[in-house]
Amino acid sequence: MTIATPAPDSADTTPAGPVARPSRAAYWLIAPGAIWMTLFLVVPLGMMVYVSFWSQTTFKIEPILTTKSWVAFFSSDTYLSALWTTIRIWLLVLLSTFVVGYPTALFVGLFVKNKTLATALLVLCVIPFWTSFLIRVLAWRPMLGKEGAINIILQAFHITREPIEALLFTELSVIIGMTQIYCVFMVGPIAFMLGRIDPNVIEAARDLGASFWRIFRTIILPLSMPGVIVGGIFVSVMVLGEFATAAALSGRKVNMLGNIIVTQVGSLKWAFAAVVGVILTILMGLVVAGFLRIVDLKREL
Amino acid sequence: MTDVLRIENLGKSYGSKAALSGVSFAVADNEYVSLLGPSGSGKTVLLRLIAGFELPDAGRILFDGKDIASVPAHERGIGFVFQNFALFPHLSVYDNIGFGLVNRVNAPVTDADALRSRIMAMVELVGLTGLEDRGVHQISGGQRQRVALARTLVSQPRIVLLDEPLGALDANLRTRMRGELRRIRSQLGVTFLHVTGSETEALAMGDRIVVLDNGSVGQIDTPDTVYNSPVSPNVARYLNCYNLFSGTIGGGTFSDGAHSFPLSGTPKPNASPAYAIRQDLITVRPSNSPLGSGEAGFTATYLASEYTGASFMYFFRAVDGHIVEVENHLSHRAPQNLDVNATYQLVWKADDALVYG
Repeated sequence: MTIATPAPDSADTTPAGPVARPSRAAYWLIAPGAIWMTLFLVVPLGMMVYVSFWSQTTFKIEPILTTKSWVAFFSSDTYLSALWTTIRIWLLVLLSTFVVGYPTALFVGLFVKNKTLATALLVLCVIPFWTSFLIRVLAWRPMLGKEGAINIILQAFHITREPIEALLFTELSVIIGMTQIYCVFMVGPIAFMLGRIDPNVIEAARDLGASFWRIFRTIILPLSMPGVIVGGIFVSVMVLGEFATAAALSGRKVNMLGNIIVTQVGSLKWAFAAVVGVILTILMGLVVAGFLRIVDLKREL
Repeated sequence: MTDVLRIENLGKSYGSKAALSGVSFAVADNEYVSLLGPSGSGKTVLLRLIAGFELPDAGRILFDGKDIASVPAHERGIGFVFQNFALFPHLSVYDNIGFGLVNRVNAPVTDADALRSRIMAMVELVGLTGLEDRGVHQISGGQRQRVALARTLVSQPRIVLLDEPLGALDANLRTRMRGELRRIRSQLGVTFLHVTGSETEALAMGDRIVVLDNGSVGQIDTPDTVYNSPVSPNVARYLNCYNLFSGTIGGGTFSDGAHSFPLSGTPKPNASPAYAIRQDLITVRPSNSPLGSGEAGFTATYLASEYTGASFMYFFRAVDGHIVEVENHLSHRAPQNLDVNATYQLVWKADDALVYG
């Protein structure tokens, strides 16, 4: 960090007049955040990339650079299929949170005219978060299990004769669980954007003769897109890094990249875990960048 | 001229509060009607009922002689211009204007050339040539007003309802847009029903003025008649150019307790007696000057003045605390040098006053 040089160079900056520029002292405000991010984000990320090239033997890891871990990842069907599973689950959860979340947000943000009620409804969406993450995930087991609530109800009403076994310990149960947990992150931003739409704009469109679906497609959906993008980023980042829900609801049958990292770290395979970590980070970066290309958030928000 | 819109005994309540009751008037084809009312007089409600955004509790709305109670808003052939313009924020000027033509359920325009020529004709009519590809946030307030108008007019409605269309504009733009609105209207021959809370706007714009008073029609007439002979003290009050006194009538005089004025002619019927004298019909004289024959007046203390460019407004306080405003048009009289807190005689011709009772 350079020490602020006094008088000499300040002369050519002063004539700027009354326009408010952040003074040097103001930059100190970001120092704690910047230091924190450097120490606990930038350095570890660099470290992760570095470690991914270290030499790993069964019990030892040495800073001798090699691409062995990378080759191992890309030549193993298990790991490539974990990558594919991660992408598939991410896309399915993204879709299902959108399908479940958008109508909810539409109701809360557009059809509930009373702002207090709308806020109360959004708070209701957050109530599950008052319990711990693990409990929320595990609570799905007695719901989806072979003798779980859903199967009991289905059989009691004679809708099914045999219990549906595919409900639990499958990819479906992982997707159901994740949709429930992450849906609220989709609802919030969308409801926020919908709430900002001037009701007169929708009335104007109706007065000009457009049908509800036309208005939805040409006015409401485009105006709520920034909310969808922000929600999509929230959900994507969380789902891509997931491992607990996948483990708990699939009985360790569904392995996402996060699960691979947990296993590798557990068996002290740091170099390999680092490879998976780098791949996951790149994947998230690509996804977020992709989302940001769709809508110019700076302009819309 | 034929009536294009006829309102009969229209009523609308919210809970136990009546927003409109017994409103009746007619609007002729190719006419500019301004609807004047203070805030809370129910003018926006009335407009929303006519547009079909809300349903009346009582009465009928006839459009071309047909009751349109059951006709949904977009099929009424009535255009609506919103107070805050309500433009589609994500669309360009061109797409905003074309929205109705492209997206309406009934007979949408699908031919690209026809669409373009209709939109461009409207762009030219409202004076937005060259701005059609701009976003609606990249144009000025006055230009947004024109887009809002063009968006409605392009569907060729028979009648356009304008809800305080100039309210969001600054003063000098407002004056320019008044002329523009009149020009555009007469060029298209469409009927305008223009709601405003500003008496100057209502007087300047309308071929006729409908004055709304507490949810019912106070007066319907030409601007000239409304201005010179308001039918009730409330209408006079909304015109913002009358000094009003309430009191009693007896023995050929009107008395408000502190002063009494001689009456000439018979009072216009009204529930409670009131006396109105227009601000520009009062002359200020020294306090000791006597009243001539046929004159009314009283003494009051001079408080302050306000220069408006074309005239001076003088403010006086009567003995009972009543504030009286006198307008001195500089084209009629030179400005007077008045001493603050000194007493003056305020005089007018008894014939000029309006008496209600």
